[in-house]
Amino acid sequence: MVIWIVVAAVAAVVVLFLILTFNRLVRLRNEAETGWANIDVQLRRRTDLVPNLVEVVKGYAAHESETFQSVTEARVAAQQASSPAVAAEADVQLGGALNRLLIVSEDYPQLRASENFLKLQQELADIEDKLAAARRYYNQTVYRFNSVQQTFPTLIVARPFGFREREFFGTDEREPVNVSFGATA
Amino acid sequence: MTLKEQIRANRWRTLWLLLLFAALAGAIGGVLALVFQPSLLIVVAIVAFVYAIFSWFASGRLVAAVTGAKPAERSQYPRLFHVIETVTIAAGMEKVPPIYVIDDAAPNAFAAGRSPKHAYVAVTTGLLNLMDERELEGVLAHELSHVRNRDVRLMTLVAVLVGVIALISDFMFRMALWGGGKRSGGWAGIVALAIGIVALLIAPIAGVLIQLAVSRRREYLADASAAEITGDGEGLARALRKLQLDQQETRHAPRAVAHMFIESPMRASSGIGSTWRGLFDTHPPLDERIRVLEESSGFRLAG
Repeated sequence: MVIWIVVAAVAAVVVLFLILTFNRLVRLRNEAETGWANIDVQLRRRTDLVPNLVEVVKGYAAHESETFQSVTEARVAAQQASSPAVAAEADVQLGGALNRLLIVSEDYPQLRASENFLKLQQELADIEDKLAAARRYYNQTVYRFNSVQQTFPTLIVARPFGFREREFFGTDEREPVNVSFGATA
Repeated sequence: MTLKEQIRANRWRTLWLLLLFAALAGAIGGVLALVFQPSLLIVVAIVAFVYAIFSWFASGRLVAAVTGAKPAERSQYPRLFHVIETVTIAAGMEKVPPIYVIDDAAPNAFAAGRSPKHAYVAVTTGLLNLMDERELEGVLAHELSHVRNRDVRLMTLVAVLVGVIALISDFMFRMALWGGGKRSGGWAGIVALAIGIVALLIAPIAGVLIQLAVSRRREYLADASAAEITGDGEGLARALRKLQLDQQETRHAPRAVAHMFIESPMRASSGIGSTWRGLFDTHPPLDERIRVLEESSGFRLAG
């Protein structure tokens, strides 16, 4: 008689553990997905902005075709990126290309003074900050999600229920796009 | 300690403080039941419940009204909006909280609201003038951390508990004066009564001390959370240093909402002794806060 009570108690504890762990994994996974969505929003804002920026610069510096080419190519690659790791790599490329574009534009004072250009630069700076913030948060959620899956006893539950580790989005060695304001030299 | 370790330690300490609190409340309730009438507990419970509900819902807009905060316009404060939006993303919060500006030369900031959905943040014009972008980011991250860590909810709960303890104490004191206790005979009864009365006098003070200890612990937690959110503990530390060097007292800060500002708006002028005064502070000393940030984020501030 007593043994059945003990078995039932143990079973109840195990079930409770499974439920709590599963819910926790779901919560952490959702946090990571929200984190990724935030990154995605900023990446999209940037790829949407690139054509405008290229057009404005072309208006004043039409012959810098190589720079435009690399920016456009990098943009396409970024749009097609499928996973966080690939997107991070594409982001680095696009960031580098945009940097070169901005450096080139420094040779054209009329361009630097144009209102359109200034507005686009401001938006680009805004995107850069927000992208950095989103990346930081996302990587923190991935760290938590992956850590929980790797530790005992959660790891018993994670795999069988279909949870997988997520990829980080880039590292902090990524070079930020340098936006400098003002028409002064 | 690393940031994550600090965050964990702070949460544990809060838990211990709350348990201490519960023990205190339980002890007082026990004294009430033993020395006087148990049925009074029901009355107290009802009053506490009503008080809690009221505090819960009132904690929002009431604060804004009290401090004279006005909603900020994006056109007027573009940098402020940019920073709060960025910090919201970095904190993983869904909604950017409405931001208010208080016209006060003394630099300060606070966050209020019972949950991230109902939260809002306020800064003084003095703060906006004093801080650069990194420092402003640190300050706003600290405030948003209060919201994200549900500190307003916690401190409201604690305040209600303190109110309840004070209420019980007051109740019982009056009853003792008017002789309403159960007469258990002889010396035992008198000793119990005496203990009860002493406890009643000390309990409210103990409650307030615990409340302040919790408040200080949550400030450390908000600092560590902010450093984790921004990835830039030095920004917040520099902001704290600037606040330390600034001597003005915030004018629009009633004592009741003091604990929600980033640094204590009360300037304790002459002190009996810093430790004694420290027990009654809602915020830990700025030096300590800076030191803790330096330790976890690996930098050293000049001077």
